[in-house]
Amino acid sequence: MCKVGIYLVCDYLNRDGFLKAVEICNRYKIDFLEIGFPFSDPVADGPVIEKAALDVLKRENTGDFFKSLKSAREIFKGRLYVMTYANVIFGYGSEKFAKEAQMVDGMIIADLPLTESGKFKRIFDRYNINLIHFATPESSYEDIDKVKKISKDFIYFVSTRGITGGSFSLDQETADKINYARNNFNKDVILGFGIRSKDDIHKACKTADGVVIGTEAIRAIEENRFENFIKSLRQ
Amino acid sequence: MNAYYGIYGGQFVPETLMRALRELEDAFVQFKKNKESKRKFQYYLKNYAGRPTPLYLAENFSNYVGAQVYLKREDLLHTGAHKLNNTLGQILLAKFMGKKRIIAETGAGQHGVATATAAALLNMECVVYMGKKDMERQAPNVDRMKLLGANVVCVEKGSMTLKSAINEALRDWVKNVQTTHYLIGSAVGPYPFPEIVKYFQSVIGKEAKKQIMEQNGKLPDSVVACVGGGSNAIGIFSGFVKYKDVELIGVEAGGESLELGKHSATLTMGRPGILHGALSYLLQDEYGQVANVHSVSAGLDYPSVGPEHSYLKDNGRVKYDVCFDNEALDAFKLLSKMEGIIPALESSHAIGYVVEHKDRFKNRVVIVNLSGRGDKDLGIVKQIRG
Ligand SMILES: Cc1ncc(COP(=O)(O)O)c(C=O)c1O
Repeated sequence: MCKVGIYLVCDYLNRDGFLKAVEICNRYKIDFLEIGFPFSDPVADGPVIEKAALDVLKRENTGDFFKSLKSAREIFKGRLYVMTYANVIFGYGSEKFAKEAQMVDGMIIADLPLTESGKFKRIFDRYNINLIHFATPESSYEDIDKVKKISKDFIYFVSTRGITGGSFSLDQETADKINYARNNFNKDVILGFGIRSKDDIHKACKTADGVVIGTEAIRAIEENRFENFIKSLRQ
Repeated sequence: MNAYYGIYGGQFVPETLMRALRELEDAFVQFKKNKESKRKFQYYLKNYAGRPTPLYLAENFSNYVGAQVYLKREDLLHTGAHKLNNTLGQILLAKFMGKKRIIAETGAGQHGVATATAAALLNMECVVYMGKKDMERQAPNVDRMKLLGANVVCVEKGSMTLKSAINEALRDWVKNVQTTHYLIGSAVGPYPFPEIVKYFQSVIGKEAKKQIMEQNGKLPDSVVACVGGGSNAIGIFSGFVKYKDVELIGVEAGGESLELGKHSATLTMGRPGILHGALSYLLQDEYGQVANVHSVSAGLDYPSVGPEHSYLKDNGRVKYDVCFDNEALDAFKLLSKMEGIIPALESSHAIGYVVEHKDRFKNRVVIVNLSGRGDKDLGIVKQIRG
């Protein structure tokens, strides 16, 4: 079975709406959630996620995010990850952040490539939080080998060169790299960036173990059609 | 290569950019060894850009402050600021790598103009990202970039200043990394950019050292430069850093006051954080969100700083201090009237610092890096001062 994960910006549109979305994801058996902790300068994100993040930052801080994360953990039965940027962790105090984040399964840090991940990994390891590593169309086969070797959780395969909110397509070269990542790797290879619909999931899952949907989920929340959207993915 | 300056620097970028950074680093090593590339760079610096720039003993200003003040005249470089040293170098490097398209961010518009100029000269497609607020306060440079054939993209997100322009340029780069070189305009960003920018700007320090020895017979007591991202400062400091008796002073924008949000004094008031690919001093709140910053000068209006400056602050080799908006505006007028030289508002911070601290410079020999000329600032100065 192909796994489906949903990315939600923490406390967007507001706290109640966010927790309701978490509940819907749980009800429709979404496999995993990525909770985005907003950062002021999200360079890996397109306009939809950036706008949502900046909106939340007008009224909330990391303390609030952890409160909501705790509630989300109680509601949602699947695997739970926090996705953010390096300085949200470093600037808060990496140790303090890791301690408060213990309830999650893993951390996804958009501006933390493998070569810089060592210091963060050592801290998160102590709290049993898996650091998620990336592979991309720019990765060499050697890079992918390294990521497979070090990963204790899924590999986040960025489907295209670009930022979140684009459209989904896979060229043959990238598909080959995804296959290579899956070969002799006993965890999942999850595709992200640009996946929007049931149709995209169908296409992606010919190659990968699962997908994560971000921008389109945020749009559905903004347009008050989140439950229908999640339902449509599960039909 | 080691990507760090002490604990600062590194490559905090999306994984998608790592291959490009590796290729850039390899190409830079090759470029430095390549005789033909070096010859071309020297050729353009001399015959196109107008190097060497003079080191000028500003007598009236010296009498006024009671010191011997030499100005390193980067304002006389083609396009009016030190930025062209870096853009000529990096465009040659980009050509060397086979890239077809150049993107850049700009704050004051000087780096944008210098990029558009070098791109026109060497026939490259050029896109410049610029915050909306900066397009308004540095309008003359927007027209110059367009005339030079660049596509200027107005960034209406976030602070709408230099920081937002870098965000947008990074997003473009992730998408177009196969064809595009990101020509970063200061000694900031992920490694190897801080090293590349220093390499191309070090010509300022080399010349200044030779010139001061010729004119003064010995090294100066102090070298003063303004610090935005830190490229003109690292460029001139590089010529003197090994001479421990030469005091090096980096002047940041004190803005309206030293309350968070009202200045851009990153090294003076910040603490280590990660932005735009590097760990460096950063103006941020207690949660690691990047703070709003302010400076009357668009080129200094930036919450981070080049990682090597963080290193040089911690080890004490360079002293960093501030000049406030008002002091810089006063210095802008003062130097214009006194020497017939209109300094850029950025450079006015270095001048203003010397004026404000003239007691401690008494009878000393000081070099101020006059990083650019102030024609671009007439509008904003008139608006503030009338
Ligand atoms: C004339 C001039 N000086 C200084 C700066 C600040 O940049 P840096 O600190 O990289 O020299 C700028 C930036 O736009 C500039 O135009």
